[in-house]
Amino acid sequence: MTFKLLKQASQKTFLGAIGAAALSVVAMGTVQADPVTVVSWGGSYGKAQDAALFTDASKNSGIEINRESGASMSKVMLQVESGAVTWDLVVSGSGGCAAAAAKGALEKIDFNVVDVSNFLPNTYTDYCIGSDVFATVFAWNTEKYGEPGSAGAPNSWADFWDVKKFPGTRAIRLNNVDGVLEPAVMAMGIPPEKVYEFLSSEGGIEKAIAKIRELKPHISVYWKSGAMQAQLMKDKEVDMITGWNGRFDNAKKDGATVGYTFNQALRDYDGFGIPKGAPNKDMAMKFLAEVSKPQYQANLPFHITYGPTNKVAYEVTTAPKELLEALPSHPNNVSKMLAVDLDWYANYREKALELYMELLSE
Amino acid sequence: MTSDTAASLSISVTELTKTYGKIFALNRVSIDVKAGEFLTLLGPSGSGKTTLLMAIAGFNRPDSGRICFGDEDVTVLPPHKRGVGMVFQNYALFPHMSVFENVAFPLKLRKIPAEEKRQRVTEALRTVQLSDFAERGIDQLSGGQRQRVALARAFVFGPKILLMDEPLSALDKKLREEMQIELKQLHRQLGVTTVYVTHDQREALTMSDRIAIIDHGELTQIGTPREIYNAPANHFVASFIGESSFFPLTKDKSGALQYAGVTVGEVPNGATHDNWTLVIRPERLSLHAPKTSKINDKIYFSGEITELVYQGETAIVMMVMADGHSLTARMNTRAGNDVDSLMGGQNLLVGIDKKDVIIIPGEAS
Amino acid sequence: MTPRPTSHRDEALNATKLRVAERRQSLLVLALTLPAIIAVFLVIVIPVGWLFSLSFLDSNGELSLVNYEKMIAYKSYLRVFKTTFNVSFLTTFLCIVIGYPLAYFLSQIPRKYVGLFMLTVLLPFWTSLLVRTYAWLVMLQRNGLINNFAIDLGIWDAPVKLAHNLNGTLIGMVHIMLPFLVLPLYAAMRRIDRHALQAAANLGATPVQAFWQIFVPLSLPGVVAGSLIVFVLCLGFYVTPAVLGGGKVILVSMQITAILEDQFNWGAASALGVVLLVSTFAVLLVASRFLKLDSVMFGRR
Repeated sequence: MTFKLLKQASQKTFLGAIGAAALSVVAMGTVQADPVTVVSWGGSYGKAQDAALFTDASKNSGIEINRESGASMSKVMLQVESGAVTWDLVVSGSGGCAAAAAKGALEKIDFNVVDVSNFLPNTYTDYCIGSDVFATVFAWNTEKYGEPGSAGAPNSWADFWDVKKFPGTRAIRLNNVDGVLEPAVMAMGIPPEKVYEFLSSEGGIEKAIAKIRELKPHISVYWKSGAMQAQLMKDKEVDMITGWNGRFDNAKKDGATVGYTFNQALRDYDGFGIPKGAPNKDMAMKFLAEVSKPQYQANLPFHITYGPTNKVAYEVTTAPKELLEALPSHPNNVSKMLAVDLDWYANYREKALELYMELLSE
Repeated sequence: MTSDTAASLSISVTELTKTYGKIFALNRVSIDVKAGEFLTLLGPSGSGKTTLLMAIAGFNRPDSGRICFGDEDVTVLPPHKRGVGMVFQNYALFPHMSVFENVAFPLKLRKIPAEEKRQRVTEALRTVQLSDFAERGIDQLSGGQRQRVALARAFVFGPKILLMDEPLSALDKKLREEMQIELKQLHRQLGVTTVYVTHDQREALTMSDRIAIIDHGELTQIGTPREIYNAPANHFVASFIGESSFFPLTKDKSGALQYAGVTVGEVPNGATHDNWTLVIRPERLSLHAPKTSKINDKIYFSGEITELVYQGETAIVMMVMADGHSLTARMNTRAGNDVDSLMGGQNLLVGIDKKDVIIIPGEAS
Repeated sequence: MTPRPTSHRDEALNATKLRVAERRQSLLVLALTLPAIIAVFLVIVIPVGWLFSLSFLDSNGELSLVNYEKMIAYKSYLRVFKTTFNVSFLTTFLCIVIGYPLAYFLSQIPRKYVGLFMLTVLLPFWTSLLVRTYAWLVMLQRNGLINNFAIDLGIWDAPVKLAHNLNGTLIGMVHIMLPFLVLPLYAAMRRIDRHALQAAANLGATPVQAFWQIFVPLSLPGVVAGSLIVFVLCLGFYVTPAVLGGGKVILVSMQITAILEDQFNWGAASALGVVLLVSTFAVLLVASRFLKLDSVMFGRR
């Protein structure tokens, strides 16, 4: 796999070089700078960002962009370490972004360029600018367990674990412990506000792992990506699954019989980072400033049910009330959720991951 | 059919035909091999001799015809039920088995008890002089040794018929000649009916009781080596077996056949051919010593020497006659023949006994 | 013949000239192979060396064995290696079971038809690995083609678990690995001397006896060569087990990916890579001891 990644990286470099060469030929005689390489994820998330943010921001600012998929902070770190950085602006989860920043792989954000004065609290850091608020929820096949909120439908992590009341198959995350342990703790009956306290206590992680082990016989698949969460529900491959709320709403739009609840969900945000030594760092910063403006974020809910990080977006958006109420950042929903604690991850992630991997390999 | 002995069976092939597409590999071939006989199938490559052998072994299925071993019709019997031994051209040894295991293979299949098996393999290996090689791997053997293993494997189970497909062709000349003698001795010792395929006429002459000449899928002539050599049935046989020079003959009204006005023989009784050819074997010619008179019983040829080839015990003298025909003579190099004094371009007179000339039907080509 | 004038120096005739010519020839050979040697060095030796050195560095870039110690401390690593070897062994075994009759069939039909049938074996080679793997997922999953079809026909009542587990992993891997076994095996079978089988028949072996006692042993080098290729490829295989295993069959390659993508830990990933590399070599070494590998690889007998 190391080789595979190296190969991909070198291919990217190579293709990037060819692309740059080709573009420089095309652009000869103009003063246009190199396009900014913006990297996001596949599936409905990347499409939503294209539709809401990137296309219009590029048009309005005159900054040309070059879209790529397959964003990953580990690839960013590889590019930075090998001194062959080709990406300019990269999407990441808040945790991944923080980890990459801790390893010195990201450029510091220039807040003179990027205006975060109207951002929701805790949706940006010195290295990472939040783009949307999302929630890790549990979703289910509504044909099997009923519509959300209806009588008898699952409503808590305890229900996710209750295979007697809700017999069927389950799916949880593979090889990544982010958002995995908190549900187990809540399923044990610990209230949301005590979850991280519990996990930080002696033997807390082990108890959470043991709770997951309890469910293991009923887990038929482990998912690796948001696209896979959606696919598993569309194919009715599993009956109940953990995942990101926006993916399930889009799966539902595609005809999947899937529903979820924000009750006990984990609130988190995605954001952008600029790799250290990015070839078009300054332009990337300007483009980041552009997409962080409320008028673009205001369009995001139309394409994926993730909430804007810029408060002004909620004022200028033309989205109907029902849509706004379906966002994880809506005050009604926020109150039901547990905010992901990045400090806990900074301290305990490595140990938690090793123990989780050990559980998976059992 | 001759009496079958305990050690051997006769083979009777009747009107065997095998075609590949439109080509006759075998065209109504009938051959009887006597029990205990050493018969050689001789012919150029592609003549059908191997096809015939493979049909006898059961590896290819003829289109029509019959094959009998003794009184048993084996035409449709699969090869593993025919019980004939066979030596393949490339030996076809089993490379994953030792010499012992190779030779023991047919005995193992016949569920011979271990002790008897060991004895018979040891005996067979002694017969082919490989007693010390039993535990060797096949890849540790020379070509000649592999040949012997193949041979031992073919006769160890006591087959009444032994088939050999050019078994010596991969060996060098000296080894081949040694093996020819050994095979002949082995045949005498075992008394097994043997059908031997070769394209080497000298090998055929050396080893065979009888030779069957196969050409273009047809049996051209069958006979003892002497019969074949001294009385070839046609041009093909005469040119294929031994060296020959050919001269067209003219027929006069009385039926006498003449070359250059000299009568060399007569049309055999009952023969209807229009054209006849004189065949001269080179070694039957002798130099006519100068100053001696010609003898009536001899036919003389006069020509100019075009090529002289010294070959040790003999020398080849190639001549061209006044009428343009060429003649090859083989001279013993003994001092009396004075071969050393011959020179290209020199005129030479050579003679042959009338008893030594061969007359065959057909035109000289 | 008149004797040639000999050199007045103490040297055999033309010895220097011939020696120079000899040296020039070897230099030429070296010059011709140099580009390939450099390419191998750049593409293989340097990355592997880099991998090795990374594995001995901790997160601060200090020399340490921490990456290897972790492999001992957490049971997941040993289990993942066990799973990897198990899955590789099973895949190889199934490839032999399915591939042997296939190769035998191909080796027995006339050569002019081989191309057509070989096409069916090779066709998967020319389609994307990912496409084939996802195609299997569509076939095998809970509401996939096979389950729906079988339930409609009444062959079984409830969906059978064919994907997202070991079954799916094996089905996908065998499908992808089969050509790697069939091709060398077919070549080995074609090399078997037809006369050896005729000789066996001639010596009294029934077709079944000839097959088991002559053909099978003579085809073993092909089986070994193909199996080793398949086995070694399986050890490092990623895509198919990742997609069809549903996270329940975790192989070393997947563990490496996880460590890279979620921990950004190059040292730990490299250490896993090194252990996998070493164990692969160990397998080859053991195989060469017992199976006379050089004769298998170079077709000597």
